[in-house]
Amino acid sequence: MTLVLAIMVPLLSAFLVPLFHLARKTLSVGLIGIMGLASISAALAAAHTGWYSPAVSLLGGWAPDIGIALVGDRLSSAFLLMTAIGSGAALACALEKFGGGPWRFYALFFLMLGSMNGILLTGDLFNLFVFYEIFSVAAYLMVAFSMSWQALEAGLKYLVLGTIGALFILLGTAFTFMATGVLNMALLAEALASIPRETLTAISACLVLGLTIKTGAFPVHFWLPDAHSSAQTAVSALLSGVLIKVSIYALMRVCYIFFLGTNGAVFLAITVIGSFSVLGGHLMALRQDDIKRLLAYSTVAQIGYILIGIGCASAAGAAAAVFHAFNHMLMKMGLFITAGNLSEEKGTREICGLTGLWKSHPLWVSAFAVLSASIVGIPPFNGFMSKWFIILSSAGAGTVIPALVIAAGTVISAAYYLRVLSAFISPDEGSSYDLPPYVPRKPRRRSVSFAIVGSFALLCLVLGVMPFSPIFREYFSSIGQTAVDVEAYVGLVTGR
Amino acid sequence: MILLSYATAVIIFCIGLYTIMIRRNLFKTVLGLALMESAVLLIIVSSGYIPGGVPPIAPFSGPAVNPLPHAFTLTAIVIGASDIALALAFIVKLHRHYRTVDLDRIRGLRG
Repeated sequence: MTLVLAIMVPLLSAFLVPLFHLARKTLSVGLIGIMGLASISAALAAAHTGWYSPAVSLLGGWAPDIGIALVGDRLSSAFLLMTAIGSGAALACALEKFGGGPWRFYALFFLMLGSMNGILLTGDLFNLFVFYEIFSVAAYLMVAFSMSWQALEAGLKYLVLGTIGALFILLGTAFTFMATGVLNMALLAEALASIPRETLTAISACLVLGLTIKTGAFPVHFWLPDAHSSAQTAVSALLSGVLIKVSIYALMRVCYIFFLGTNGAVFLAITVIGSFSVLGGHLMALRQDDIKRLLAYSTVAQIGYILIGIGCASAAGAAAAVFHAFNHMLMKMGLFITAGNLSEEKGTREICGLTGLWKSHPLWVSAFAVLSASIVGIPPFNGFMSKWFIILSSAGAGTVIPALVIAAGTVISAAYYLRVLSAFISPDEGSSYDLPPYVPRKPRRRSVSFAIVGSFALLCLVLGVMPFSPIFREYFSSIGQTAVDVEAYVGLVTGR
Repeated sequence: MILLSYATAVIIFCIGLYTIMIRRNLFKTVLGLALMESAVLLIIVSSGYIPGGVPPIAPFSGPAVNPLPHAFTLTAIVIGASDIALALAFIVKLHRHYRTVDLDRIRGLRG
């Protein structure tokens, strides 16, 4: 029951927002805050249920082979927790910035929240596609929300590539249904073992290609930098921090359940895509002058790390990938919120124009320093820990090349994050650049945003130390074991 | 007969993908998306066919075709329609700004 509520409460809020707007003409911040709290606590309740007693909820009471099953286990709980924290932070930032004004934004936000929880909980392949499309349509609209021409272009580009990805996922689903006659993921795990090799190759190619486009990994990443940099600050943070993680979950779930025992080549392909994403993302980020584009390309590289973790096809690799996904959510949301606020203060997004900020905003700059040290992978922080685990598990899986790629990527990322930091710290000499003259703006209060960024930076430090505690390590390795234990998943859904 | 339907679907899918990759006109990109979608739907509908099957409407006798793919198709049509409507809305907005739908003249969509 709690699993259904995690989808129902945000969807209900999404439909109530326009109704309230019709009735009252203005939406109060408190009302949206209450809806947000209700949605997030529903997601957290589902995560709690899934973590302590893995649950299956059969919609309408239909048996798993003909109905839709919602499944909550430790892997989906971990991602539910991640989306709850991330979208809560993004909602708080949006409320501080926009107030209760743009009701369409909040309707889309709740629609997205509901469909993300749907993706994380569903146990049915076609249902996954449907939730994925609800989520994607909301995401296209949120990217284009400011209606500036960059945002519209980015939204259209995202839409075209996202729809191509969705059609490949649908094609894979269609092939799966033709080959087996079922769509429940647990039953498919058993059925796919006995279908011809060629069919399985076609299915895995379609599903992996579609999900890779949606994830934004290197060869098909074109939409990601535009979409993530053209949107407003809160949306950028949400896109980079949370949406990508939901796609990662879908890739992880589908690949582990369907192909772990049947088609090992899928994991090799994911490792190769991941390695290219790391190098490509970092090299492209090095060339950027726009701070938000730099952060977006850095996201491409970080997706690569997570994909390398998934490609290990082992419990340790999956656990490391989830840990890095969580860390990347904290780091990249903090970095995007900081970069967005600082560049709004200065009125430019060019890195060479963002000077003298250490004098005027020392707290923001130190938070940025902590977060970027963490994303580069400096030892006491969490980024180092998760990269270390990914390197360990990829070396354990037999190939050392991805580990070397990660090490090389770290050096490149240090170079470009240091460039941003040195611009922040260098004294203000706005006139020597060919930029519009610096107009001191009325300083706006950003206490909520700063509280979020500060607590994320603090969490980075805490999570960097936590892996030394055995309880924490056991928690994380149990996520990895849940991810790769296909038999337990099948047993949970079918009740055998 | 059913093989012909599969072959048609594959060809239409490839034409759609080719249109998106080669054509520089935004409307043709959207047409390509619509073609790809129709091809996938054709595959799904064909997959429910049983030789000699009757329509699965309540009083029927003998083997009926599988009704489940039809339900999927309806859902997917709704999703595809919303995607394409949104794409066209974006293009109308962009056309108001640029007065063109040529990809090469729209700055950020290159590459």
